[in-house]
Amino acid sequence: MIFSSIPFLYYFLPVVLLVYYLSPKVLKNPVLLISSLIFYGWGEPRYVFLMLFTVMLGYIFGILIEKFRDKKISKLFLILSVLSSLFGLVYFKYADFFIANFNKLKGFSIPFLRLALPIGISFYTFQILSYTIDVYRNNVKAQKNPLTLATYVALFPQLIAGPIVRYSDVENQLKNREHTFEKCADGIKRFIIGLSKKVLIANAIGELGEAFLSTQNLSVMYYWLYVISFMLQIYYDFSGYSDMAIGLGKFFGFDFMENFNYPFVSKSITEFWRRWHISLGTWFRDYVYIPLGGNRVKKTRMLFNIFVVWFLTGFWHGAEWNFIVWGLYFGVLLTLEKFYFLKHLEKHKILSHIYTMFFITVSFMIFAAPNMEGVVKYLTSMFGFSGIPFISDEFIYNLKNYAFILIIAIVGSVGFSKYIKNLIDEKAKDSIVVYILELVFLMTLIFAVTGYLVDGSFNPFLYFRF
Amino acid sequence: MKTRNKITTLIFAFVFTVISLMCWFKTPDIYSMSERRELSKKPEFSVENVLSGKFQEEFENYTTDQFPYREVFRSIKATTATYFFNKKDNNGLYLADGHLSKIEYPKNNKMIDNAIEKFDFLYNTYMKNSDVNIYLSIIPDKNYFLASKNGYLSLDYKSFINEFKDRLSYMKYIDVIPYLSIDDYYRTDSHWKQEKIGDVAYELGLKMGVNVESKYDVNTLETPFRGVYLGQAALNVKPDSIKYLTNDILNECKVTYYDTGMPKQGEMYNMEKANGKDPYEMFLSGTSALIKIDNPNANTDKELVVFRDSYGSSLVPLLVPGYKSITVVDIRYVQSNFVGNFVKFTNQDVLFMYSTTLLNNSMAFR
Repeated sequence: MIFSSIPFLYYFLPVVLLVYYLSPKVLKNPVLLISSLIFYGWGEPRYVFLMLFTVMLGYIFGILIEKFRDKKISKLFLILSVLSSLFGLVYFKYADFFIANFNKLKGFSIPFLRLALPIGISFYTFQILSYTIDVYRNNVKAQKNPLTLATYVALFPQLIAGPIVRYSDVENQLKNREHTFEKCADGIKRFIIGLSKKVLIANAIGELGEAFLSTQNLSVMYYWLYVISFMLQIYYDFSGYSDMAIGLGKFFGFDFMENFNYPFVSKSITEFWRRWHISLGTWFRDYVYIPLGGNRVKKTRMLFNIFVVWFLTGFWHGAEWNFIVWGLYFGVLLTLEKFYFLKHLEKHKILSHIYTMFFITVSFMIFAAPNMEGVVKYLTSMFGFSGIPFISDEFIYNLKNYAFILIIAIVGSVGFSKYIKNLIDEKAKDSIVVYILELVFLMTLIFAVTGYLVDGSFNPFLYFRF
Repeated sequence: MKTRNKITTLIFAFVFTVISLMCWFKTPDIYSMSERRELSKKPEFSVENVLSGKFQEEFENYTTDQFPYREVFRSIKATTATYFFNKKDNNGLYLADGHLSKIEYPKNNKMIDNAIEKFDFLYNTYMKNSDVNIYLSIIPDKNYFLASKNGYLSLDYKSFINEFKDRLSYMKYIDVIPYLSIDDYYRTDSHWKQEKIGDVAYELGLKMGVNVESKYDVNTLETPFRGVYLGQAALNVKPDSIKYLTNDILNECKVTYYDTGMPKQGEMYNMEKANGKDPYEMFLSGTSALIKIDNPNANTDKELVVFRDSYGSSLVPLLVPGYKSITVVDIRYVQSNFVGNFVKFTNQDVLFMYSTTLLNNSMAFR
């Protein structure tokens, strides 16, 4: 089930909220767990058991690690936990990638497994890993109640596309959490904004992407229009989903971490990755980079650490070489910034922003391509080396057709709305007129979103495939 | 602030509860008049259907189709996209010069090949060795007059038509475009208006060597005509009205429909359909595989066979005065290799008359 759908908004969510709020405290987590399993099972009925099995392994290893803490076997349990969690991810997500490359390398013809990717496996695997690693590090206590651990992993607001909520962040909230009107009101606003970002902007821009991918009328400028729209689509799609997740979390008393912070205002690639998919970046930092030694090692070892992290970041996004290249591309840029020109970038605000946006735009072209051949085709076309015309009719038409949405999307992505909100908070926080206007605005958004959903427009969540 | 949070929560809880209750308890509709299609029915719940994902998929379609005040919400979407986001088209539909139209783009070479293959088959099977005169006329869709002028993507009509002329060299081409303008089409529908295409019929007759000129009474349907694009676009555009032409010649014709293979007498204008879901179907009863029109008042023995799409429904009656009989064939509803069972091709005029829209989307040809 996806958040931006009629069944979720008007069938599932109201019933879950009603049952949840009518339930006594002791039943709130079981209600959440059951509804999360229904939510997940709606889209992946066969993979519910896979997820529960992975949770069960995490639960058992967590208990064992804690029980044998300070003994060598504890580390063995941690290794087993990591390997068993990663096995599911590797098997379902990467098996065909390895088979294809092995076949190519050795000239074999091992048949592909062609397994359907369980939705959200990349996210919930990382959550379970963070849990057992944190138990091993003694950052958190092992969860004795398997239902509570399952509730944490399966929690439907963040189950299938993050943010990657760490057990340590919600450990207390799983036991005790507050349900207040303040949280609910904040959650409503956040959820509606996220829903609108997804339905009104990301989906609309996505239609431009679909038009580009099926065109026979390519041009250099059309490639640029496509990559810019793709960047914005991914941003609004994914950050919209994160907003919805955070908003929904508040309905149920949870506070999830922020996942985006206006990444397109960044003035360096380093800053971009502090603002984009924050929960993934910090996960790799805390569970891969720092354990490898982080910055506190020799330069060569640090370089190795950086490239391991960015190789894994790329590979996490997809089982294709272009994702690995995409990750390593950032590894190179971040290394160059770290060792050479980050300090220079800080002195030239406009130039550094242009530099950042250029390399981010190129990165999205690598990301958007279906494979490495696609990367070469996209990049050569984008820079006018593939013999296609500079401009085409479809480019002109789609530029006009989507100009207004793209302008709104660009303005929104650089924090204009946040600026307005801060201004209002500063000047007229207690104004009743502002309050009523805000309510009307949110209500208008809900009706517009419902209209778009009822009209059955284009509606895929891009990050589900990761 | 606390009170405001409470009010915000309660207002949205109330709105979601009301909409949710309406969704849960609304009596399902069967048909959407505006979109001219059956609406999804409640899916059957079974373990097998749930495990295969069929139930979930059908339930999503059902909840979307059966949403309370669906038309209002569709209209909100269309208005938001068109007037707030300033989109030039909404689901491919656009409003320009007071007309609703649907973008016909790009040229679909596979569909063109398919259409030409079907025409070649008909020619080689039935006409190659007979003494028939074969004509082709391509009717431009509304975009010919609207799209480029208003900045919309459109076919290259000249090259599109030339391709058919070149590849169907055994047909004599009759150009009707000089006799058409955007005013000859309904504002809310894809079709042309019968009362405006007398000159098209005259030109076709002239090029085929007959005089189809005749005087008609102009009749107007009382019910407004909400064309196919009006429902799809969900925008606030005034409906059209349908006018149809009658005279004694048409009134006295014998019109026989062969939809099931068995002949059935009918009318040139089906007044039951005029009050139905798509009033344009009043012309020759809409979709029919094969129709024969016999004109007892004809001053000639000439016969005509027309291979046509829905544009032909309103035009064919205007060709009647020039022929003793007209056989109207729609190869979307009859297999091309069955046509010979009903029509003998000998000493006739044969007119292939199709719109650019159908030729560019010819998958329905059988």
